[in-house]
Amino acid sequence: MEPQTLPTLNALSPWEPGILSLFVYAGIILTLMAFLIALTGWLGVKNRTVEKVRPYESGVIPTGMARFRYPVPFFLVATFFLIFDVEVAYLFSWAVAFDRLGWLGWLQISFFIIVLFISLGYIWVKGGLEWGATHRR
Amino acid sequence: MPLPDLQHPGTTTQLDSPNRLDLVINWSHKNSLWPLFFGLSCCFIEESTAFTARYDIARFGAEVFRASPRQADLLITSGTIFKKIAPAILRLYEQMAEPKWVISMGSCSNCGGMYDVYSVVQGVDQIIPVDVYIPGCPPRPEAVLQGLILLQEKIAARERPSRAVFHLGGGIQGTTRPFLVDGQTKSRDTRGPGYQGIPTRGTSELPPAFRGSRSETMWTPPARRIELSSADQTLAGALRERLGDDFRQALPMSDMLTFEVAPGRVKEVMRYLKAESSPRFLRLEDLTAIDESGRRDRTGRGVAEVREAGFDEVYHRRGISYPDFTLVYHLLSYDTAGRLRLKVPIAGEHPATPTITDIWPSAHWYECEVFDMFGIRFEGHPHLRRLIMPHDWEGHPLRKDHPGRATQMAPYTRADAQRHQPLDASLLVAPISPEEEILLNYGPHHYGTHGLIRFVLALHGEEITEVGIDLGYHHRGAEKIGEHQSWHQFIPYTDRVDYLNGAANNLAYLNSVETLIGIRVPDRAQFIRVMIAELFRLSNHLLWFGTYVHDVGMMSATFYTFREREMILDIIETITGARLHPAWFRIGGVAMDLPEGWKEMVDEFVRILPSRLKEYEKLITRNPIFKGRTQGIGGLSLQDAMEWGVTGPNLRACGLDWDLRKKFPYSGYDAFDFDIPTATKGDCYARYLVRVEEMRQSLRIIEQAARNMPPGRHLCEDSRYCIPQKEDTLRDIESLIHHFINATRGPKIPKGEAYAPIEIARGEQGYYVVSDGLDKAYRMRIRAPDFATLQTLPLMAVGSSIADFQAILGSLDYILPDTDR
Repeated sequence: MEPQTLPTLNALSPWEPGILSLFVYAGIILTLMAFLIALTGWLGVKNRTVEKVRPYESGVIPTGMARFRYPVPFFLVATFFLIFDVEVAYLFSWAVAFDRLGWLGWLQISFFIIVLFISLGYIWVKGGLEWGATHRR
Repeated sequence: MPLPDLQHPGTTTQLDSPNRLDLVINWSHKNSLWPLFFGLSCCFIEESTAFTARYDIARFGAEVFRASPRQADLLITSGTIFKKIAPAILRLYEQMAEPKWVISMGSCSNCGGMYDVYSVVQGVDQIIPVDVYIPGCPPRPEAVLQGLILLQEKIAARERPSRAVFHLGGGIQGTTRPFLVDGQTKSRDTRGPGYQGIPTRGTSELPPAFRGSRSETMWTPPARRIELSSADQTLAGALRERLGDDFRQALPMSDMLTFEVAPGRVKEVMRYLKAESSPRFLRLEDLTAIDESGRRDRTGRGVAEVREAGFDEVYHRRGISYPDFTLVYHLLSYDTAGRLRLKVPIAGEHPATPTITDIWPSAHWYECEVFDMFGIRFEGHPHLRRLIMPHDWEGHPLRKDHPGRATQMAPYTRADAQRHQPLDASLLVAPISPEEEILLNYGPHHYGTHGLIRFVLALHGEEITEVGIDLGYHHRGAEKIGEHQSWHQFIPYTDRVDYLNGAANNLAYLNSVETLIGIRVPDRAQFIRVMIAELFRLSNHLLWFGTYVHDVGMMSATFYTFREREMILDIIETITGARLHPAWFRIGGVAMDLPEGWKEMVDEFVRILPSRLKEYEKLITRNPIFKGRTQGIGGLSLQDAMEWGVTGPNLRACGLDWDLRKKFPYSGYDAFDFDIPTATKGDCYARYLVRVEEMRQSLRIIEQAARNMPPGRHLCEDSRYCIPQKEDTLRDIESLIHHFINATRGPKIPKGEAYAPIEIARGEQGYYVVSDGLDKAYRMRIRAPDFATLQTLPLMAVGSSIADFQAILGSLDYILPDTDR
């Protein structure tokens, strides 16, 4: 490696992964956001009347609460998404190091993928992916 | 040019010269105004045209029309300010971001305009402050742009926002003018201030007084009288046999078989007519009432006759020839293409009569409307309520003793707009299980409702379990206005009954009036009428095409179809001088002859449109996303469509070949060669296909009308009812006198009644005109296609997802001014 003439600058270089640059970057972002939010919060005229703070619902007064028991399909979809999304994390970490993990790693991840497919098929057959009108009063 | 002083008199303040921050903030404000996507009526059509390609409001930095008031700072109140919608307007205004501005667009919004009627606020400035007024009815899209520029100039010249923005105390930004108060800062009187207590001209001629009408001294021949066909005679005979003394054939008839039935036997007759009679009358076309208390000869002629006919309970009390109210049922038979009118006389101040909702479920809304407008109760009705008027309205507007004009009533104030809130959503649907279901208000202010209507959706997740419909936000009292405008003066009001169909509405009205008086319209006038009516049909369908494709998620179609729509409006404007509301047809013909150069424009349009239609179809018709959104969605069975009185393309999409232009040819349509497109599935896609094909057929008719345009007069020669042609009035004194009489006092129309609907773009629109032999109608009933169509919405929407709901709404192509009238 070349001798480094300006070590502090290099530490902030986006090409050099390092904890210092991450903190500096995060600090700049947070300061900027805080400044913008504070400024927009303070600037301009505020008018908090009863009507202004009322939820907007097509120009009439809303009925009932927005908090109620969500129908099951929403949770199912959310859960499936979460499960399969987390599993992608395993796939990526394997893909980054597949050459060093060798055939054993390949076999392990193949097994993992097959299990995933089986579970997807199971959900499909059980109707977990059905979406649309099912409820009848 | 010096800027006009936009400050309200009395609030003018000496402004400091702007500092640099003022200049920067004003520059930002004025060049990025964010209008609220909010339309009230006709004016909004022109406002929305302003953001299409030809006018391109983006040049002024105001193209971002926002759906939510939270993101908007400019309210353009485009259209009529209905008393029922006023609370929502005030709320939207309050919910908008600061600073905010208001442009009042159009005569209605400015001052009530031509709608000085009980349901309309006489100027939006009575409830919210206004910066700029745009005059016109409706103003052209260019006028919207000018209004915007005026507002920008006002912001630059008269606002000093920096002190307010930085909390330094003082500063001027947004609307600073006060809202106005009648009698203090404004006058609602159309004659100007200072006339308090003096009734407007012609008041004494109106009910309940009816004094001094000059029509009394005029003579006319009796109304047209038709002979009964043999089938009608058989039917009348069968009914007489069944009912005996409780049945009376009403004479004379100008349009169809009419009979009177005693109130107790209505249900029996209805059942018979729907299921057993020959022909069967499957459609309840219309149900309405007449308040007979204002009849001029109530105790005169005909009293003996009705007493003998077995209607003692109704007539006996005062020896009268008219009851207190008459219920009027119009029925239609699909088998023989025939119509029938059934009248039921009823007596009492707040009478009650049996419901027919168990025979025709579609009677539900009609009976609610009669209750709302006349105060007649229907025993056994499942949910009798106010349908059109606000739930807390006092009185029944179509009674003769209810004031017709808004200026006869107390002014509508800001306090009224805060007090009279629309009904809570939970009262518009059956009780829900609050743990699992949610109530969502879909309208009155919503992108997708295409006008002022409120749907209350009970939702289980995404699925619609019930649809509640709240009508009346667009009720302009057109029927009541018909009772105080002369027969000619009413024509401009018909344009606005279905504001996308312009002069085609004139034809619907005139068809009934001309049926009643039985005059022959010259061939040339008929061809001109047909051509213009079809141009409006095309213009309507083009607008529908763009907005429907938009409804299911594709943005660009609007920009293309509005290009051809502008071509049509250019033709209309060349011929009639107006774009949306020509009011150009007259009793017995049309207002003027065709101008020079009309043929070239029509030919050019006929040449261009087919290739454009092909282009659109290529984009949409076989588009898999479009098909996925519309096929199998919103299905309606043919049987339901026929029984519920669904008409027009929505009926034909269910598979019935039914079009009044073919079944009851009027205005010379039998001289044209065209097909009636139908589809079979009855879903959204079928309705789409029918409308697209209808555009081609309309084009065929226009082409034939232009090619074969006959020479001759454009107005009937019978000057008793018609305004004579202008050139005649310059030649002989007789024409001049008739012109003067008919243009001022208005023609006297003989006593009688007629109902002769026509096929406008969205279905069958008909005027049931009742004349008491005066220069104005005694009762003006408008049968609107969308009232019937919208009533079937729950049949199509319950069980589908909320995303499909929008696809269904758009596919019906309904419009609110004719639903609420």
